[in-house]
Amino acid sequence: MTSYRLPNRGRVDHARPVKFTVDGKSYQGLAGDTLASALLANGVHLMGRSFKYHRPRGVVSAGSDEPNALFGTRRGPGRFEPNTRATLQELRAGLEATSQNRWPSLAFDMGAINDNLGSLFSAGFYYKTFMWPRAFWDRVYEPVIRNAAGLGVSPTEHDADTYASRFAHTDVLIVGSGPAGLAAALAAGRAGASVMLVDENAEPGGTLLSEPSVVIDGKPAWDWLAQALAELAGLPNVTVMTRTTAIGYYHQNLVGLCQRLTDHLDTPPEGAPRERMWKVRAKEVVLAQGALEKPLVFDGNDRPGVILAGAAQTYLHRYGVKVGDRPAIVTAHDSAWYAAFDLAEAGAKPAVIVDVRASVDPALTDRARALGIETLTGRTVTGTSGRLRVKSLRVNRMENGKAGAPRDVACDAVLMCGGWTPCLHLFSHTQGKLAWNEAAQCYLPGTKTEAVQIAGAGRGLWGIAAALEDGAKAGALAAKDAGSEAEAPAFTVSADRIGSGVTLRELPTDRDPGKAKAFIDFQNDVTAKDIRLAVREGMRSIEHVKRYTTNGMATDQGKMSNVNGLMIAADALGKAPPQVGLTTFRPPYSPTTFGAFAGYHKDATFEVTRKTPIDPWAEANGAVFEPVALWRRAWYFPKPGEDMHAAVSRECRGARASVGIFDASTLGKIEVVGPDAVTFMERMYTNPWAKLGVGRCRYGLLLGEDGFIRDDGVIGRLAEDRFHVTTTTGGAARVLNMMEDYLQTEWPDLQVWLTSTTEQWATIALQGPNARLLLAPFVPDVDLSAEAFPHMAVIETTVAGFPARLFRVSFTGELGFEINVPARHGRALWETLFEAGKAYDITPYGTEAMHVMRAEKGYIIVGQDTDGTLTPDDANLNWAIGKAKPDFVGKRSLTRPDMVAKGRKQLVGLLTDDPKVVLEEGAQIVADPSQPRPMTMLGHVTSSYWSDALGRSIAMAVVVDGRDRDGETLHVPMPDGSIPAKVVKGTVFLDPENSRLSA
Amino acid sequence: MNAMTPTIAAGATVTELAPTTRIVLRLADPGGVGIALGVPLSERIGSRATNGARSALCLGPDEWLIEAPETEAATLGAMIADLAARTAISAVEVSDREITWRIEGPAVLELLAAGCPRNLAGMPVGEGARTIFDSVQIVLTREAEDRFHLTVWRSFAPHVRAILDLALRELASGL
Repeated sequence: MTSYRLPNRGRVDHARPVKFTVDGKSYQGLAGDTLASALLANGVHLMGRSFKYHRPRGVVSAGSDEPNALFGTRRGPGRFEPNTRATLQELRAGLEATSQNRWPSLAFDMGAINDNLGSLFSAGFYYKTFMWPRAFWDRVYEPVIRNAAGLGVSPTEHDADTYASRFAHTDVLIVGSGPAGLAAALAAGRAGASVMLVDENAEPGGTLLSEPSVVIDGKPAWDWLAQALAELAGLPNVTVMTRTTAIGYYHQNLVGLCQRLTDHLDTPPEGAPRERMWKVRAKEVVLAQGALEKPLVFDGNDRPGVILAGAAQTYLHRYGVKVGDRPAIVTAHDSAWYAAFDLAEAGAKPAVIVDVRASVDPALTDRARALGIETLTGRTVTGTSGRLRVKSLRVNRMENGKAGAPRDVACDAVLMCGGWTPCLHLFSHTQGKLAWNEAAQCYLPGTKTEAVQIAGAGRGLWGIAAALEDGAKAGALAAKDAGSEAEAPAFTVSADRIGSGVTLRELPTDRDPGKAKAFIDFQNDVTAKDIRLAVREGMRSIEHVKRYTTNGMATDQGKMSNVNGLMIAADALGKAPPQVGLTTFRPPYSPTTFGAFAGYHKDATFEVTRKTPIDPWAEANGAVFEPVALWRRAWYFPKPGEDMHAAVSRECRGARASVGIFDASTLGKIEVVGPDAVTFMERMYTNPWAKLGVGRCRYGLLLGEDGFIRDDGVIGRLAEDRFHVTTTTGGAARVLNMMEDYLQTEWPDLQVWLTSTTEQWATIALQGPNARLLLAPFVPDVDLSAEAFPHMAVIETTVAGFPARLFRVSFTGELGFEINVPARHGRALWETLFEAGKAYDITPYGTEAMHVMRAEKGYIIVGQDTDGTLTPDDANLNWAIGKAKPDFVGKRSLTRPDMVAKGRKQLVGLLTDDPKVVLEEGAQIVADPSQPRPMTMLGHVTSSYWSDALGRSIAMAVVVDGRDRDGETLHVPMPDGSIPAKVVKGTVFLDPENSRLSA
Repeated sequence: MNAMTPTIAAGATVTELAPTTRIVLRLADPGGVGIALGVPLSERIGSRATNGARSALCLGPDEWLIEAPETEAATLGAMIADLAARTAISAVEVSDREITWRIEGPAVLELLAAGCPRNLAGMPVGEGARTIFDSVQIVLTREAEDRFHLTVWRSFAPHVRAILDLALRELASGL
């Protein structure tokens, strides 16, 4: 194969060949190549198939705006990425790339039939085609669209890579390391400000890498660049980061940077993350992102070999690759002329330079003549030929504003330039206003919302001298605003190739414009005629045109297409572009991996998993765990051969027959302390607290302002001014926040303070008739008898030698104790009690048995039996309201008319006619299962278990006017038939006299 | 891994410290209280006053974290009880609520930057802050230029430690 590599050119290492494969075929490139430049060096332009029409496509840019050259890339198992941009992926040894969106092969793709059916796929074709019949939506249209959407294939394996995140703070963050960014970094860095200079490319330098002929401060551009980078490297306050894309610009100068760490390495070091997401808070931001080149819009502008002129210049100078031997150049801007000159000097033979402008600077035509290049001005181009690679360009003379007779020019590449668009993306993220510049026919940054400077081509300045000067000023200004005295350095520049151009809509043609495949958005296959059709069909706003045509909606976010689309839409509407507007850019600037966003949050660190001090014992003893809020809790402890049902039944039996031991450490605990503690408790909870004696406990019920149940728990009074409040496991943080909110905003006069003590204490529940017998020997200082230490007592003492808060409470209906010891002693106490408990056949039980036993006693679980719409009355908890209290949170809401009206859902018991049937939690309840659908739902099952103690199933449910339905049979319709069940007003199924509890 | 075994990598180590006595002290007016506690109460949030091995870190307008060696627990307890009899305060022991790691080494700022959004380079030695590390609430104090103490609630510690270990591995990789 012919090599398009030019020896002694480019910044690649000609002495270091690198082997790689594409679709299984081996190629050789050089160290320093991108996948795109290496393929071009091998004469390969065909790099993809378009999304909708499956048209063969070549690489069109040399940067992150590339719409076509997208590959799947792979580095062994679990390391596959779809839609990798060949223009950014650096070559590494053994890189495996696969082309996308083609079958059976890139060169011969069956899907290309779509290209001939273009009239079926016009703008808005989704909306027009996939409407009827309705039934086709789910089974035909949607799967087809989903299958067609997107280019690459999603990875199927677990991602073997790791990803990192890091926060950083800096005085000045500079985005883009072209001449403007470098000058800004020099200015701010010399001033002593802390500076981060980031660039998405592998190498800093930006335009300078593609413009080696310019001379700065008397040095060739690349020598000056090396010197500038060396100076920056020597400044300890400056950090230069390459392969780092600023993906989003958020409030208060927070900028997200995605740094690619290993994708370019032959062998990544052990432990290295693939990418790192930086969250940088900068005092000042300098945006020096430059400008993006626009394609020209003409029929066949997407044929492989048609490439942006600036990209061709980059391939030549950075990579030593000529994109063709006989390129034709077609342009609306001077810059493409220079690309042609550089290629000619490198040995290519440009066939022609076509400029759509009637006249250009004579210096350009003179230079072209000297290089032997034919020049044609005042022309239009109306087509290209060639199947998988461009073979000729169709050029027409313009006569009286119309395309005249055509002429074909043979070529092996077409370099096009439709001018340059200042890169506004990050600025747009700040919601900064854009201003239309009539002279330049483009949008420029307008009103700023953040502490930001925009420098260089990003604000419409053209030429390296201008960029350096502007960057230096911006850097100095930013450093000054960040608090450092700074001066803008001056640079002398010669051989700067400044130029200008015009902004156009699609080029005029002598053929039927309705048949022209003149692409605007290469990635989404949007053509000029699609935009015009959208306008004809009534789209007026650019936002509607965008969505109707999908212009700019691909992963490149319209970097190439937005302005061309706008110019054509404005023309079709007969309005000036600023009257039509511009669509909004949103983060991320370029496609970013999910891994980079997830950072450390995968596998074991996916989310916080809180564990109690006793958790390791549970794990060692075979517990099955369940997540409860952020905690994992022992769910049940199966013995060999036991399923969940058997284990839970055994655990319940063990506790009720003798003694069970349970880890209740996750219960939220809040210490309420201060002279006004009791006043605070009176106001927060529904219950009365004033008369609760020291050493006594009470069930506390917490409502919201709306009168609905928020939380509950047992609360002990340890001293006149000190309460030990417990909350539900999941409610701990919420309740503390709610209390703090009231304290700080409603009652700042109260002398009371709240401290979370959830984690100070490990809490062990001993429940069962033998609980006292087991515990008493370990509590030498307290008489645990029913008389001396009755139900709902609390005392500070020692248990097994550990300081402890000992509660006599029960959530099972059995004689029970909850022992709180400092967390570090939790496991030791557990093991001590478990050893001693063996004499009583002690049974460790998990949360499921706890749920069953509490349900047998009719104790509710907030959040399971309540759903944020239940009042105390709805939940049979009126007894927990201090009737004499003047006020408490939610009190006034409880007397609102609809809170006391008939028809509220009330918590009741539900017993299935067949005692063996266990209802499904969440199942709906109806009065008559034979009523026509949709049926009237009366409520739903909130808790449902098999009760070993009762030898039957039990359930709790919320049912409309439930208590009035005592004895009524309701029905629970299920897929395989309706289940009849009887309402019981009371939810206490076991030991309603509390004789076991008070034992 | 033994919790007391330090993790050493790329210029940073993480070592769990032995427990100390910790009291969350809340009160409206700190004037004069410091004398009764044997350590002054600084009123600027983030500042820490010390007296011998006893310290008081101001974490909020009415909140101090008092730390003392466990050998002083009884004396401190008595001083607090005495104070509480005369003044409206809340003193709650949280010695077991949290654990503390000593994190030190030349790369300590990079390591903490893996999860802490604060600009820790700007934290003076001898000061501290309640902040977050990867969504988890922590208290950080700067003990030396290259040494911090990170205090975290016990059940969140494994998560924080796992991320610190991932970040240490990342630092050791040199990338």
